[in-house]
Amino acid sequence: MNDVSTSTPVDPETTPEALIERFGRDIINDFDLDDPKFNENFNETLNFMVRKCPVVHSQVGRGYYLINTQDEVRAAAQDWKTFSAAQGYMPNRPEGIPFLMPEECDPPMHTRWRHKLNPHLSPKTVALMEDAIRADVNELIDRFIDKGECEFISEFGTLLPGWAFFKNVLGVPLEDLPALVNGVEEGTFAPDLEERSRHFKGVFEYLNKHLTWRATQPSRGDLIDTILAGVTYDDGTEAPWDHKVSVLVDLTFGGIATTTFVMGSALHHLATNRDQLKMLIEDPSLIENAVEEYARFFPPVVALGRTATRDVEVAGTPIKEGEFVMLTYACASRDPRHMEEPEKVDVRRQGIPHSTFGVGPHRCIGSNLARLELTATLEEWLKRMPDFRIKEGTEPTYVTGYLRSMRSLYLEW
Amino acid sequence: MKVHIDEVNCTGHGRCAKYAPNVFRLNDEDGYNADRGLTIEVPAGEEKNAMLGVKSCPERAITVVEE
Repeated sequence: MNDVSTSTPVDPETTPEALIERFGRDIINDFDLDDPKFNENFNETLNFMVRKCPVVHSQVGRGYYLINTQDEVRAAAQDWKTFSAAQGYMPNRPEGIPFLMPEECDPPMHTRWRHKLNPHLSPKTVALMEDAIRADVNELIDRFIDKGECEFISEFGTLLPGWAFFKNVLGVPLEDLPALVNGVEEGTFAPDLEERSRHFKGVFEYLNKHLTWRATQPSRGDLIDTILAGVTYDDGTEAPWDHKVSVLVDLTFGGIATTTFVMGSALHHLATNRDQLKMLIEDPSLIENAVEEYARFFPPVVALGRTATRDVEVAGTPIKEGEFVMLTYACASRDPRHMEEPEKVDVRRQGIPHSTFGVGPHRCIGSNLARLELTATLEEWLKRMPDFRIKEGTEPTYVTGYLRSMRSLYLEW
Repeated sequence: MKVHIDEVNCTGHGRCAKYAPNVFRLNDEDGYNADRGLTIEVPAGEEKNAMLGVKSCPERAITVVEE
């Protein structure tokens, strides 16, 4: 007689008891992106999930799945007909926030917008911003270099991406940056969903006002004018005003809420791995490759969501039409099926197939700008403060949800 | 050696041209691979770089064409 219960050997590491013991909860059946323990055990959890759990489920709120392995994440991300972005990318999306175009829509509507927006953030266009961004990097460093120390996140990490984006892409006044950065941060990480919604709305109101004002001004031929010109959807209708505002909100979120974490993590890694620091100082041509490796291992976007448009099976797990599915880019970028020693950070790693900038048609539109900001930061930093270290007695602090960010990093030199 | 660039799955990560600039060209306007949908010849001596470009594509949009 066949005994079904013994036909599949039980992995002692994935029993609910073992998971609760190790991660504080049964992360296979009841994962929670916002659990403080996930923030604390971020790397261990990702490393474990990608090896042991291709798909896990969360019971938080309306519930959601996470897809964790690289092949499955890629397949789902590219199959936008089955995994639609049109119901949003946030798990348990707070009520009352308009959808963000084009991130929260599917082709062909998505394609119409990306076709118009891509040229403003293409490698060629972004290369023209290099001198200005490098000057900004140095201006920020000038402010604190003589002090011999800084709190990197507030004095550099949140400022540079904001400056780069505001000055070169959006053209909105720099004095408005702190309020917007705060709105984006709180809209993403505030523990209370209603609070998130309130902060989101603040960002919408500000950018709506800015767009309204720009509509009265002569054209500058910039990204804002492209948004104002709009697109024609396939049904012949023109993109309405609220779509245009949401495009601006979407770009702003991407532009200021993400790169900070990679920057801070890169410097933290170099400060605590002197051999790797020495390599980059001796051969700065390695920095561009290091940026890829840091983007791979320190992903600011942990996971983004889709909605299943039909019943589907992923790595043996059935997912029903209408269910919410997170694509865990952070896990996919450390899949041992696709790279040697994925838990190791090595600036010399060659051929880095990571998914930090997403996969599929929604690939991060700012990826070229982010790479430039990161490269310029590391190049200038290592030139001016090659002998920097973590301030004695401090450790970086983090916050994690579907995004991850660094809250503080004290450096001295 | 020949490689094929998938027309749909290339979404403009630009890794191919970073690692193998003598093999892969990006479209000036949008930064996507300029030879999307085509099979191209890898110049002699560029095979190693081309393979790095193939491996670095997050979309697996580039495949080596068996001859």
